[in-house]
Amino acid sequence: MKKRVVSLMLVGVIALSLAACGNNGGSTQGGSDSGVKITILNSKTEIQTQFEEMAEKYSEEKGVEVEVYNADTDTTVASQVATQYASGNPYTITMVDAKDIYSLADEYAYDLSNEDWASHTTLGITVNGKLAGFPVCVEARGLIYNADAIEAITGEEFKPENYTTLKDFTALLDELVAGGMESPVGILSEYWSLGAHYFAEVYEQQTDPDAFVNGLLAGTEDLDSNDKFNQLMDTFDTLKKYNYAKDSAANADREESSMKLAEGEIAFMFGGNWDWSVINQYDYTENMGIMPVPEDTTDGTNTTLVGGGSKYFFVDSSDSTSDDQRKAALDFLNWLVSDEEGNTFLTESCALVPAFDNIDAASLDPLSSSVKSYSDSGLIANYNFLPDDHMTVVGQEIMQKYLDDVIDRAELASQVEEYFKGATAIPH
Amino acid sequence: MKTNSFGYKFRQYLLFAGVTTFLFTAVVIVPFFYGLYLTFTKYDGVSTSKPLVGFANYISAFKDTDYWVSLGRTFIFSAIAVVLVNLFAFVLAYMVTTGIKGQNFFRTGFFIPNLIGGIVLGYVWKFVFNKALVELTENITSGNAKSLLATPTGAIAALIIVSVWQYAGYMMLIYVAGFMSVSEDVIEAAKIDGCTGTQSIIHISIPLMSASFVQCLFLTITRCFMVYDVNFSLTNGDPYGESALAAMHVFNTAFTNKDYGTGQAEALILFVICAVVGGLQVYVGKKAEVEA
Repeated sequence: MKKRVVSLMLVGVIALSLAACGNNGGSTQGGSDSGVKITILNSKTEIQTQFEEMAEKYSEEKGVEVEVYNADTDTTVASQVATQYASGNPYTITMVDAKDIYSLADEYAYDLSNEDWASHTTLGITVNGKLAGFPVCVEARGLIYNADAIEAITGEEFKPENYTTLKDFTALLDELVAGGMESPVGILSEYWSLGAHYFAEVYEQQTDPDAFVNGLLAGTEDLDSNDKFNQLMDTFDTLKKYNYAKDSAANADREESSMKLAEGEIAFMFGGNWDWSVINQYDYTENMGIMPVPEDTTDGTNTTLVGGGSKYFFVDSSDSTSDDQRKAALDFLNWLVSDEEGNTFLTESCALVPAFDNIDAASLDPLSSSVKSYSDSGLIANYNFLPDDHMTVVGQEIMQKYLDDVIDRAELASQVEEYFKGATAIPH
Repeated sequence: MKTNSFGYKFRQYLLFAGVTTFLFTAVVIVPFFYGLYLTFTKYDGVSTSKPLVGFANYISAFKDTDYWVSLGRTFIFSAIAVVLVNLFAFVLAYMVTTGIKGQNFFRTGFFIPNLIGGIVLGYVWKFVFNKALVELTENITSGNAKSLLATPTGAIAALIIVSVWQYAGYMMLIYVAGFMSVSEDVIEAAKIDGCTGTQSIIHISIPLMSASFVQCLFLTITRCFMVYDVNFSLTNGDPYGESALAAMHVFNTAFTNKDYGTGQAEALILFVICAVVGGLQVYVGKKAEVEA
């Protein structure tokens, strides 16, 4: 018996040392005589095919081997990045959400402030004086409309700027209903849409979002009496009233709502320009766009979209990446911004709204050109420091109930306040 | 050649079990102990520093009411699912061993759901519950129908239905093997003694195939407790986060909420519960086994 235990342990030790060898072998890859190889993690899975094609072409032209990995769909990007760092084999360039940049920057992000492109964007993320995040594109949220569907009923050209107040907007909805469109609105019931996209505007549209959120965390803010909260929830109530899935709001999934919007069965859906990739799968019209969420307010927040840089590249600064690899990575980022081919890749192959003022984008999809025109005159910035569990708690446990009429507005307000009292703030 | 020397035995061991031991150590033992270590640290998943925090993670795991609620939900889900899976599996196994026409075809057919990955299975059934069944009931009752997935209880029921559909075929195979292992002689002897069909199942077949029950119960219990993939693709916690089972809650705590230490501690608690329940069940089951 004793011998068996000893031999088992021995095998274990051998196994461990073998595993350790494997690790060392892995991290010295690249930078050898076969030319430099860089790896990129793409977490915008909808552009993976375009990315791979570009990488192949880029490799041929520049002699730098570029390998693009697709983010796993069954886990979060942060956990995938964590796995790679834990195994000492990080990606040279990693695409993450803005929020992740703040948590990764200090330890792993290379300072990009000396790059040529840095002066062409205002959306880069700087953490502790270090420019860590390269904005991949601009994305913004608002009410997506199908102008064809509206014009077919009203008989006149749809001008979104005429419907900035809730009163005008409701009048239009009533007109649509009278004209035969039974329920002109779709609300996505997915918790990320409710929590991270719609409800987040309650913070983002405040004059000082940071102070407001800190107030909530400290338990000193009162949502009930907050104008912004009530204005946005008034609009939400209106959207709910005209929701095509009113009776079983939780059944409305993204695919179905997008299909109805694309085909003009409904006229409005809250979302963002990323929804185009779903809408264009159906029988869509080009005559669409995104408008600001109508609100009864005078503070101007109902005249522009909420958004900003979405998805950021950071370049690994750890020892697992060689200087040659890092240089190749920086060259690649510069290529995206200053090379015509790079621009074409961003704006045409991937249909992204560029975050750089030297890139022009003439052939964007309808939703993205809306975003581009609003972003040229300034967007309301995303707020990136909501507690990590905000989306699951406020989006799923609270807003879904509100959408389903399980709780009323007073309960909604008190539950959100209650949540914030126990939430962990994001240091920034 | 000496066959009882340590070197010889060790070589034999390596020859036959070396690869398995290596893999087992690499993917189970090492991660397990590393995970145990992580429960005592404060770790966000990516940072290089992992400061030790003692039992703080366990304390916050015990304070995390959502976790205990989801664990309670998992108990209810598992209890119902385990009973139904085994009931269906046993009945199916009985039916496909009675010698009906095309029984091999049925065996294959019932087993196939098990070959579909849990993620795909979840999406397929989501469509069935949200679209097909809603459409069907609306046509029959000509009214507005709510999807099963729209209410918390309904969502759990849907999870149970899908689990039964997924596992019944697999467990059926084990029960089929159990039925086949009962020797014809014993059954014949029972028949001669005047046993009816039902009596011979209850008093002869079932006791003789108790090993199959032990195995099936163990497999279903552990699988139900750890279910994640179907939960993720079918409900993803909707509605209101009230269909999130324990494993999903652990994942969300660790990765979505980036509270790695607490998530890991909660995972360990889940492991201990699973191990105790599974172990107890096997222990009790083994005692009940009989020899022909």
